[in-house]
Parts: sequence; structure tokens; C-alpha cells
Amino acid sequence: MAISASISLTSAAGDLTSNALTLSSVTSLTKAGTSTALAQTTGLARKTTSAAAAGNIQATYLFRGDDATTNGANKVYLKNTSSTSAEYYTVHVDQEELGRLYAGDWAFFPWNAAAGSKAYFTLTIAGSWVSGDTWEFDGVKATATNATESDFCAIIDSTNYPNWTTDYAAGETTIVFHARQSGGLTQSTAVTADGTKSSSSGTAVISSAHAGTTKSESDISVRPSVHTDMTIEYALFYQ
Amino acid sequence: MATTTAAITLTSADLLTDALSLSATNTLYKAGTTIGLDQTTGMARAYLTSTSAIDLFPAIIEDGTNLRTFNGTSSWVYICNKSEDETEYITVKICEQVIGKLYAGDFLWMPWSQPADVTNAANHHGDITIAPSVATGMWVDWTCINEGTEYHTENLVIA
Repeated sequence: MAISASISLTSAAGDLTSNALTLSSVTSLTKAGTSTALAQTTGLARKTTSAAAAGNIQATYLFRGDDATTNGANKVYLKNTSSTSAEYYTVHVDQEELGRLYAGDWAFFPWNAAAGSKAYFTLTIAGSWVSGDTWEFDGVKATATNATESDFCAIIDSTNYPNWTTDYAAGETTIVFHARQSGGLTQSTAVTADGTKSSSSGTAVISSAHAGTTKSESDISVRPSVHTDMTIEYALFYQ
Repeated sequence: MATTTAAITLTSADLLTDALSLSATNTLYKAGTTIGLDQTTGMARAYLTSTSAIDLFPAIIEDGTNLRTFNGTSSWVYICNKSEDETEYITVKICEQVIGKLYAGDFLWMPWSQPADVTNAANHHGDITIAPSVATGMWVDWTCINEGTEYHTENLVIA
């Protein structure tokens, strides 16, 4: 497996400088410190940005630090497809501005994908649960099918939570939840609520809860210069 | 008008089910115009023998008399790690924010706003720095094509 990236910079003699500029460079995209090719990509994506008015313009997050291996040899490709010369996207890595992509401009740069820390907690299912009892968390409801706690844990584990993943070992009555993204709304408040339990005597206690104390330090975002339609193309090649 | 063209090609026969063949070409213009960029720092090549981070271009200093003249103008930066040792890399930062690592043979091409720093102390304004991973010597190429570079007056004393 191999990915080749080549760049050429050209300018005729007497244009940029007296002599012609003819620069070219070719590289194979490999994993950090190895000759093994990168094997994952988001594919080439295209997103149109717009807002109701100039005052409503928001940054669009293209890649999160959690999306790739931290300090991997990840590479980002961006292109502003606009044909209006005054329109641009301002590219940020975390809060720092890299530069502006005007109409037709493209960029290709490495990305260290520094993630932060993710929130987590342990859920313990105990007491007397019966078929039909429920536990709702992150907007998703899991329903017990019998009175066996470990069976209900398996159901909770097999449920898809939009903002959390779960770790569970068969036969256990505890499940560890991990946030999908680093940080959190407050970055200081751990999850301590039981979710929403519907059971007369079953318990769903949350313990060992830790806040996601550090946000991602390298999310890549673009902010359009106008509220009317602009389209950006982007791809990530990553470990 | 100066015409400078930047082109990239990304290809792979086996990364995906279908072949990847992506190419893009653009002419480098001054911000918001169709007037070609007409200034450059020239191509630099250095053999770096320290792992200390260095500024690639004159530091952007905001001390009351040397403001960021070219903030928001169009600048394009090319950096290439010419090492042939696959374990050697350079760490590229802007405003002390790590962008990423360029391993042997890797290059980057990115816009540069010469911006103000929003998170760090004074006098780190938008500087692009690189730090080699080893002190045994690494070749690195770089250039900037832009609307202007803020060259310091001689004997500049920073407050």
C-alpha cells in the first residue's frame, strides 16, 4: 500500500524572481518513524458552509484531535473551491490561526492530532431489576428483558450511545463508560447522575467518575469569510 | 504580474478500492485579489545540528513600533524535511501550537496569516518554528512566497 504526494512550485524567469522557479518534491505517506504506508483516510469530503447572516458565521470543525493517532504522521489536505477571489476560509489548529485559503487555494500539512483526556465512569447494575425496567442515558433507553443483572449489563453495553463508548466483560455487573471526545462541556464536572432509571428496586449507581479535564489541543476548523455558500474540500490521511 | 503556481498530486493505487488520483493547482495571489504574489524569502537550505526550535522567518514582533505589518496578507510556506532516515522528523509549530511532524521526505504547503498569538506570551506572534528530532544533523528546505516579510531594523531593541 502506498500513497504518493507530490508538489510543484513554478514561476517563469522574470516573474517572481529573475530566474525561473521550478521546485518539485515527492514523498510517500508513511506511518511515523517507519516505511509502512499510511492505511487510513477519511476520503475526500466536500462541505458547503453558509449562515443566515454575516453575524451568524460559525467555524466548521473538520477534524477532531481524537480522530487520529496522536503524534502520528497524519496529513491534511484542504481546498477552497470558491471562484470568487475575495472569499476565503481561515484555517485554525485549535485556537491558533494558520492562514487563509482564498478561492482555489489548497493546503497540505502534517497534523499531530493531540487529543485531550476523556471523561469516564463506572455503572453498576444491582438490586432487583425485572423485565421491562429501563435505564436511560445520553438520550438512549436500554430495557431489561429479565431479572439477571449481567444480562441487563450486556443490553446496556450493546446499546449505541452517541457520545459514549462502553467496556463490558461478559457475566459482570459493571460497565465502564468512556466519552467519545476529549474534554467536555465544563472540563471539570464528572458524570454523577444515575441517568434516568425506571425500576422499583433495581439500582444503577455511577462511581469512579472522572471529568474530561483537557480538551483536544489540535482540532482543525475553518471559518468562512462570508455567510453565503462556500464549499471546502478536505481529506485526512492518518494512522 | 508575477505568476507563481502551486500544484499537488495525491495518488494511490491501493489505499482504496478505487484508485486515488487527486490533483489541485492554484496561482498565488495577493489576499482577495487576482494580483500575483511578487515577493519571496527565497529558498533556504539549512543543516540543523540542534534540537532547539528555530524561527524560519524573521520573528513577528509587536512592541509598539514594529506592529504586524503583514498580518492578514497572503503568505505561503513550504517546508521539506530532506532527511533520508525515516525515524528523523521536524516538529512544526505556529505560535507555539504544534501543527505536526514532518518525517523524512515529507513536505508541507500552507497559508500563513502572520497572525497574532491568542494563547501564549508576547512576542510569539504567529512565528513558524521547526525543531529537529535529533542533533546529529538534518537537512531542511523552506521558503515563503508572500506579499511582504517584516524585516527588522538594525539593532532593534525589543521592549
